[in-house]
Amino acid sequence: MTQSRETVELGPADRAPELVPLNAIFATDFVQILVPVTTADTMTEVAAAVAHHVEGKRVRALPYEKVVIHNGRVVPAEMTVADAGFAPLDHIAVEYLVPKGVS
Amino acid sequence: MTLLKREEWQGFVRDVDWTPTYVDYEAIYPEWHCGTGKVPREAWQGWEESYKVSYPEYVATQREKESSTYAVKAALQRSNTFQDLDEGWKSATKMHFGGVALVEYAAVIGELKMARFGLNGSWRNMATFGQLDEMRHAQITTFFGHEFVGQDAQYDWTQKTFHTNDWVPIALRNLFDGMMVAPNVVDLAIELPFTFETGFTNLQFIALSADALESGDVNFANMISSIQTDEARHSQQGGPTMEILVEHDPVRAQWVIDKSFWGSARAFAALTGPAMDYYTPLEHRKQSYREFMEEWIIDQYIHTIEDYGLKKPWYWDEFITGLDTWHHGLHMGLWYWRPTVWWRPKAGVSKDERAWLASKYPNWENVYGDKWDVMIDQVNANNVAATLPETLPWLCSTCHLPCCNATPSRNGEWKVRTWQLDYDGKKYHFCTNACRQIFWKDRDNVNHETLIDRFLAGQIQPMDVGGILNYMGMTPDAMGDDPDYGAWTRDYIGRAVEGIAAATVQGATQ
Repeated sequence: MTQSRETVELGPADRAPELVPLNAIFATDFVQILVPVTTADTMTEVAAAVAHHVEGKRVRALPYEKVVIHNGRVVPAEMTVADAGFAPLDHIAVEYLVPKGVS
Repeated sequence: MTLLKREEWQGFVRDVDWTPTYVDYEAIYPEWHCGTGKVPREAWQGWEESYKVSYPEYVATQREKESSTYAVKAALQRSNTFQDLDEGWKSATKMHFGGVALVEYAAVIGELKMARFGLNGSWRNMATFGQLDEMRHAQITTFFGHEFVGQDAQYDWTQKTFHTNDWVPIALRNLFDGMMVAPNVVDLAIELPFTFETGFTNLQFIALSADALESGDVNFANMISSIQTDEARHSQQGGPTMEILVEHDPVRAQWVIDKSFWGSARAFAALTGPAMDYYTPLEHRKQSYREFMEEWIIDQYIHTIEDYGLKKPWYWDEFITGLDTWHHGLHMGLWYWRPTVWWRPKAGVSKDERAWLASKYPNWENVYGDKWDVMIDQVNANNVAATLPETLPWLCSTCHLPCCNATPSRNGEWKVRTWQLDYDGKKYHFCTNACRQIFWKDRDNVNHETLIDRFLAGQIQPMDVGGILNYMGMTPDAMGDDPDYGAWTRDYIGRAVEGIAAATVQGATQ
């Protein structure tokens, strides 16, 4: 009797987190920066990773939620990098979600 | 003995384009080096320059220049002039020494290529003197910088810079390899003597010499002036080449000059912009970088291209807009990533300096003031660490400078945009639209890997700030730092601080 060996393609959620280097701009910062994240990071974590290099260091912190914008769309906060389909070297912007009426 | 008049012997001794009989003309002057393209080879017979220098005359003149320059240097060595120079001016000279000394040596190769493959005897003759000029410039710049190594280790980067993988020399290497080493000699003559030397360095050396005198650095002014006299002569190889090229292939002439003007302008924004608008002490500033560019570079450039029947480059509006932003963003980048540079970048944003900046650049406060304010608050909270980098700025795949050019939005907010390109299975990022367009049009040319490319490919280990600094060849004794934090932050001590900076202030003072 021979055993068959099946190979199973693991989905992003089943694989070990992989490094995804991104090109990022934080709000009104003056420069694009390199920010490494992993496929398992949520958008909340991605926004925090980008903010770490800029917020309170070059851009004044604002008391608002931060969102990640990829290919012109806001990515939901709980979505992971893998689920959002971010590829290495992709560009993202992190913006404050400023309530309407606040300048 | 009666001497012949110059016009009686010049052509005879100089124009040595004999007809080869035992080897193919193409073997002597291969197209890939000579680059005649659509220009008929016989058209190059009309190439002529006005200096018509002979070798004995050249040697006598150069000897005189060298003697007087070194005499001034020797005299000044006995004085304390160096100790009295402003740190900002010293930084400008360190940038110059490191950024220029070995570029002059690369220019020797460029001139030698024209001396060998130029399709006219008078051009080759001129280029032979040109390579001797560039050798002198490499030597004199290295020697003058070397004098200060014993007093300040950063001057060691006069010679060291281009032997490292620091991001600044990578950017300059990419520019100058593209301008001097890679091209055929026709493109080279348009890029180097015509655009870079005539359009930029010739005039910049005059301005830099004046700034040096204003700052009390007679030695540097003396060196620069001596070099400039050579530039004025050998840069004249550009005009006759352009004249012939534009007659037969104006599209190529336009592209080569457009590309090299853009690359030169980007490099100038990084090196000359901060030196003029931030490092030069306020009381010694004659004009802003923008004013300098408008008066000395742009007007002259427009006249020149119009004289040859060419048009303004397609990116002209983007370039003009950039005069208000490029060098300010690059200055902020050089300051924030100061451990990666071999000089001491002054922030230069005290209240008086900001008032000057705002008077010269009406949008300066709007675009840059808020970021400097956050950094000022951090310094005043004794939290300089918050103003030091923990990652890399993204470097443009064309100019290799940080992608830091803000442009206005419809709502009046200035933001940095993304300019990207998917090509050959890879994603590239650029600082500007024109850098992206030039990359695309020139994609078969040799492009160095940016520091980001090298980092992500695992060439830099360990993959942290220490690993990056080590890869750049940076050592603690040469690492850049602000020469005087108090000079630009003390005006703001005691003001109300908001946001995270406020939290840090409280934390730091508890």
